[in-house]
Amino acid sequence: MEQPVMGGDDYIISAERLEKTYPGNLKALDDFTVRVKRGEVVVVVGPSGSGKSTFLRCLNGLEEIDSGSITVDGIPLDDREEHRLEIRREVGMVFQAFNLFPHMTVLENVNLAQQLVRRRSRSEATEFSLALLDKVGVSEKARVYPDALSGGQQQRVAIARALALMPKVMLFDEATSALDPEMIGEVLDVMRSLAGEGMTMVVVTHEMGFAREVSDRVVFMEQGRIVEEAATATFFTAPARKRTRDFLRQIL
Amino acid sequence: MKPAPLFKTVYRDLLGFAALLALGFWLIGRGGANISYRWHWQQVPQYLYSLEDGRFIAGPLLQGLMVTLEITAVSLILAGCIGLATALLRMSSSPVGRILAWGYLETIRNTPLLVQIFFLYFVMAPILDIGRFATAVVALSMFEGAYASEIFRAGITSLAKGQWEAAFSLGLTRFDTYRKVILPQAIRRILPPLTSQAISLVKDSALVSTIAVYDLTMEGRAIIAETFMTFEIWFTVAAIYLSVTLLLSGLVALVERYYPQRS
Repeated sequence: MEQPVMGGDDYIISAERLEKTYPGNLKALDDFTVRVKRGEVVVVVGPSGSGKSTFLRCLNGLEEIDSGSITVDGIPLDDREEHRLEIRREVGMVFQAFNLFPHMTVLENVNLAQQLVRRRSRSEATEFSLALLDKVGVSEKARVYPDALSGGQQQRVAIARALALMPKVMLFDEATSALDPEMIGEVLDVMRSLAGEGMTMVVVTHEMGFAREVSDRVVFMEQGRIVEEAATATFFTAPARKRTRDFLRQIL
Repeated sequence: MKPAPLFKTVYRDLLGFAALLALGFWLIGRGGANISYRWHWQQVPQYLYSLEDGRFIAGPLLQGLMVTLEITAVSLILAGCIGLATALLRMSSSPVGRILAWGYLETIRNTPLLVQIFFLYFVMAPILDIGRFATAVVALSMFEGAYASEIFRAGITSLAKGQWEAAFSLGLTRFDTYRKVILPQAIRRILPPLTSQAISLVKDSALVSTIAVYDLTMEGRAIIAETFMTFEIWFTVAAIYLSVTLLLSGLVALVERYYPQRS
């Protein structure tokens, strides 16, 4: 097998030649290579079923790759459980369905990993959590349970929860797709300000306006392969491939 | 159609229930008269308790109840542990663990509890040198544990995959994920079937009287052998079991109220 190309030090994520096939011979990732620099915001777009979410979920080991290699902040994602846990602690993830823990208050949701993973005391954790909740604009809801929140509020809490371990990378898996239209803006605002603070982000989204405004680079994929990868301005104004132009015409 | 006012429906229901109850008692009374059974209800209380110099002394039935409660309480805890462990084994990635759990489940669920009790008492107890009480507890917790494990498994698998993923994405270990995220939600969800299982445990514990453990049922049989008050004593024993299980249901209902299920 060909030796995979190793990413340089300035890449915080290198995903090299990923392959993944689902049962039924469905190729989710096919010779897929993406590298992300520190502080970069990369948006991944493509038709549904193209493997965008699979790629994101492989980056923190929620799904296994069949072959290829993933390195996050110098840690290889391999069979060793410590590496997997270490990477997950460096990488925050926000899901389409929020996935808050319904049996815990908002504050407990944000405290949980700090107390279990970072061994912070409850009061230390609470102090930081309240600051995070304030940052995403839901601090007044700290003591209520998630079922009392709107979708937009829940997703903002989920972002605060993902930030609680001070990750170096944030992954957003269609974070606004399950929201009512009037709540999409408030979540995108939080994501925008995170990007503004220099957070490294990999974002799967259908919000082309957001992609255009916030991202540095766009990866367009289909059937597990990269169709086109370009700086954001180039991608939207002068796409090289016909398939990209067709796709953009459909969604813009 | 407008629903009838609450008071009116309740009133009618209560009236019907009272009528049914009266009919039941009348039938039993008539049956007793037909076989010329002589009722001795006034003699029953002494088997429950007596007062000596104003001191409360538990009679054989209450002593039997204490034994039943002890056996049930210990078995309940053990059955919970066995059930949870078996459920986790069945869902584990270890093939040996899965086979072990499967073998245990199929053996227990496909043989009668009475046979299991006899097997443990006549075969295993002499080998392991354990007493009757311990044998009873082991038999009951193994039996109820098998059923509890299926309840646990159903509860755990009913949770959305996203709960696991969210916990994992935060860097939680599998153990912490179970402890803090999965089990608290699963157990709250399965509280009703788990309660039914606990009630079954109380009722099934009557079978340990067959290996001469002096539980409530055994004490009842002993009193009947002495006094021939078959009807009164069995009615009393049944009523005691009923009040224990109703109390249990009531307690769980309170817990359910104070910890509402959230989604």
